[in-house]
Amino acid sequence: MRPHLRNAALAALAAAAVSGCATPSTHYAWGDYDDALYSLYKDPTPAQHQKYVASLKAIILASEQSGRKIPPGIYAEYGYALFEEGNAVDAVAYYRKEMEAWPASQVFMEKMIGVAQRRPRPGPPDGPPPKGPATAVEKATGS
Amino acid sequence: MRRTGLLPAAIAVASLLGCATNGPATSYEKWVTADPRSILVVPPASKSVAIDAPAYFLSTVPIPVAERGYYVFPVHMVKRVLEDDGLSDAFLVHQADPMRLCSLFGADAVLYVTIERWDAQYVVLSSTVTVELTYVMKGGRTGDVLWKAQERMTYSSGSGGSGGLAGLIAAAIDAAVTKAAPNYMPLARQANAEALAFPGKGFPAGPYAPAYRKDLGPGK
Repeated sequence: MRPHLRNAALAALAAAAVSGCATPSTHYAWGDYDDALYSLYKDPTPAQHQKYVASLKAIILASEQSGRKIPPGIYAEYGYALFEEGNAVDAVAYYRKEMEAWPASQVFMEKMIGVAQRRPRPGPPDGPPPKGPATAVEKATGS
Repeated sequence: MRRTGLLPAAIAVASLLGCATNGPATSYEKWVTADPRSILVVPPASKSVAIDAPAYFLSTVPIPVAERGYYVFPVHMVKRVLEDDGLSDAFLVHQADPMRLCSLFGADAVLYVTIERWDAQYVVLSSTVTVELTYVMKGGRTGDVLWKAQERMTYSSGSGGSGGLAGLIAAAIDAAVTKAAPNYMPLARQANAEALAFPGKGFPAGPYAPAYRKDLGPGK
């Protein structure tokens, strides 16, 4: 009886491990990306936006230093944050990095590079982004 | 003797994480034919009155989908670009032609999530938090539904607690904490984990995962 129980337990553990659910280790190093994005939506202030941007930057630095592949979308999100701050030149540089790391992003990135080159936003150099995501959240919910 | 605790624990872990491969076999024919590489996650539509739910939920999506081996378009950037283009109504985006939407972004597929429920109900001293979601993935080339799933997660405080005065106090504290700030995020993440589990309700691994084209078994 005892060995049966043990085998069943091992089988259950093995099944959990094989399906990759037991300890979901991630392929990419995401840092605190999802928490930072959640916090930005929860509390759409310039301070929270800075934290979100810092979190993107940390993921970029960690990936570049470790040589691990950067998670999809991070270069692009960082570039877009720079664009919103009025820094179109660096935004384009990061859009290109996204395209290089992830060729699947090419169509979208080329469009956004075009947008950045056509109308660079003359935002303040280090002020809050011109449009707060607060209204964006309200708009997105259609209320 | 001490080992007897292991079996229930292992089963509990496996069932909690939803790893069991149950349910009827799903056909992945359309998925395999479409063979998507990149997924556009558009802002969720919501039937809930919780105004923040779509944005909150959106933050939970990119990581588990990308970890399945797909390129996921930058969700916040996509949301802002759609808003700048006058498409801030998520229902409108969900109703738009998926083929046209995909071609605008160069995406192979688009993932639509609808929040069916995102609420907390309070009955005497216990509270129940519910998150219910519908996931639909459509192909950019054909507009066909490639995959869909539905998840409903609930968390009840004060249920199954000990009886008597101690139980009542525990339930009261639980309800107060939940009422002040119901935390939906663990439920949302759990819903994603179950919806995307493969084998299970999820879809096969994508080209950026080692299991790509190896997880469907022979003859597929």
